[in-house]
Amino acid sequence: MGIIKARDVTFEYIQRDEEGNVEGIITAVDNISLDIQKGDFIAILGHNGSGKSTFAKHINALLTPTEGTLWVDGMDTCDEDKVLNVRQTAGMVFQNPDNQIVCTLVDEEVGFGPENIGVPTKDIWTRVEDSLKAVGMYQYRNASPNKLSGGQKQRVAIAGIVAMKPKCIILDEPTAMLDPLGRQDILKVITELNKKEGVTIVLITHYMEEVIHADKVFVMDKGKVVMEGKPRDIFSQVEQLKKLRLDVPQVTELAYELRKSGLDIPLGILTREELIKALAGGVQHAYHY
Amino acid sequence: MPIIIDKIDYTYEIGTGFEKHAIRNLSCVIKDGEFIGLIGHTGSGKSTLIQHLNGLVKATKGTIYYNGQDIYDKDYNMNILRSKVGLVFQYPEHQLFETDIFKDVCFGPKNLGLSRKDVELRAFEALRLVGLDENLYYQSPFDLSGGQKRRVAIAGVLAMKPEVLILDEPTAGLDPKGRDEILNCVKKLHDEMGITVLLVSHSMEDVANYVSRIMVMNDGVLTYDGTPREVFAHYKELENIGLSAPQVTYIMQDLKQAGLDVDTTAITIEEAKNSILKALGKI
Repeated sequence: MGIIKARDVTFEYIQRDEEGNVEGIITAVDNISLDIQKGDFIAILGHNGSGKSTFAKHINALLTPTEGTLWVDGMDTCDEDKVLNVRQTAGMVFQNPDNQIVCTLVDEEVGFGPENIGVPTKDIWTRVEDSLKAVGMYQYRNASPNKLSGGQKQRVAIAGIVAMKPKCIILDEPTAMLDPLGRQDILKVITELNKKEGVTIVLITHYMEEVIHADKVFVMDKGKVVMEGKPRDIFSQVEQLKKLRLDVPQVTELAYELRKSGLDIPLGILTREELIKALAGGVQHAYHY
Repeated sequence: MPIIIDKIDYTYEIGTGFEKHAIRNLSCVIKDGEFIGLIGHTGSGKSTLIQHLNGLVKATKGTIYYNGQDIYDKDYNMNILRSKVGLVFQYPEHQLFETDIFKDVCFGPKNLGLSRKDVELRAFEALRLVGLDENLYYQSPFDLSGGQKRRVAIAGVLAMKPEVLILDEPTAGLDPKGRDEILNCVKKLHDEMGITVLLVSHSMEDVANYVSRIMVMNDGVLTYDGTPREVFAHYKELENIGLSAPQVTYIMQDLKQAGLDVDTTAITIEEAKNSILKALGKI
C-alpha cells in the first residue's frame, strides 16, 4: 500500500448568504482516487480554484472527506485518535512563510514542532541542527527570522517541518513569493530531501519548470484529476494544458513552436539538453552549407 | 510629466543598532507612457522604492519631483500625488472588503469627494477596463477566483484615474492563464490609455515579454537600467544577485556553443524561434 491512498474522496462545503441561508453546495474535491508511493516526488498542477489546495489539506487531516476515505501511511484521516499521527507523518509547508513562522530565533522556530510532539530536549537540538543543515540555513541558527530574505524564511519553514521527521512533505506553492535564486534553492532542498532522505514530496506549483523532474504529475480541474502521468507525457499535450489554464516550460513551448514550423523535433522536450540534441542534426546540416 | 528621483537614500532605524540602508543614492527618471519592469532579489529595496513614489515612505535624503514639483515641499499636496500615482500592493485582493464588487471599486473615488454620479461612472469605467464580466458587478468579491479578485483590486486603483500605475508582483500565486490575463490587462491600459506602468516582478519571462525598460535593484542600489535585451545580456551578473535571464536566453547560449549561429540576445520565445529557423536556413 502506498503512503497516500485516496478512494472516492469528495469534499463539499455549503455556501451561505449573510442571513445564513444556504445558497448552494460547492464540490471542491470531486471523487478523487489516487495512490502515491513512498519515496515518490509528486507534483500537482491546476488553475486557481481547481481544488489542489483543498485536496492537499486532506493529506494532513486539516480537512477530512465528506465522502470517501483517505489513508496516510495506513491511517484513516477521519479517525480522530490518529489525527496527530497523521500530521506527524505528513507535514505541510504553505505559500507565505510569514504565516508559518512564530518564533523570534531561527533555531527556536525549527525546534517548535519537535518540542510539541514531546521529543526529549537533547534530541530536539540534534534534530534542529540536522534540519537546518539539510536546508543550508545552519549558519543563520541564531538570527531572527524577520531579518531573512523570503527564500531563506521559506527554507526555515521547511526545516521546521523536516525536524518533525515526517515521511511525507506537502508543499503548497512554496516558491510563489520568491525570486529566481530563492526558487532554485527551495527546489534543490526538496529534491535532496527526496533523493537522500527518501521523503515523499507532494509539490503544488504554478511554475511548470519545477515539475519536470517529478516522478508523476497530477493535473486537477474542477475538483477532479483530469490528467495523470510522467512529466513528458503531460507536457506533450500543450494545447490541452492551455485549455486547463496551464502552461508548459519555456523550453517545451519553444520546441513545440519549432515543430509547428516544420522542424523534426519530438514532442515533450523538457530540458535544454534535449532541445540541443534534437536540433543537433540541424546544426550539422547548417554547417554543410 | 515625468517622475524624477533625485539622489534618494532611505535608512531604517537610523542611529540604532538595527540601522539598515534600504536605498542608497538612487537617481532615475520615469518618463510619461513608459512600461518599466523593476526586478531584484527579495530584500533588494524594490518595494521600499515604489512606496516612495506615492509618498507612503519619505526618503531620508534626496528628493522626488512629480510634474516638476518637489513632493517634499511643505505646501505640496500629497493627496494629489496619491490619486495620480496608483499603487497596487502584493496580494491586493486582501484589501477587498465591501459586500459587492461595485461598492468596493467605488470606495476610492468616493473618498476624493466626487458626486455620486461621477463616482459610479468611474467605477463602471474601471471595471470595464479590467475586463470583468458585467454579471459579476453586484456579487460579493469573495466569491471570485484569485485572478478575478486581483482584477477587481486593480479596478479600485484605476477608478482613482491614476497617471502612473505601480504593481508589486501582480501575478504572484496566479495560474499561468490568470497571469497572462492580468498582464494583458495592464498592457492594454498602457497601450490604450497611455498610463505609465511600473511592474515589480520575480518572473524574468514576464518582464521580457511585456516591458520596454528594465531597472535592476541590488542591495538598495540601481545596478542596471536599460532595454530588456541590454539588461539580460548581463545574465551572469544577474545570477550573482539572485536573478536570472529568461529561460530562452539560456537555450540560445547553449545553441551558440553547440555551433548554431543564433542570436544570443533573444529574450522571448518568438524571437528565439525566428532566430533558430533563420540559423537553420528555414526562413
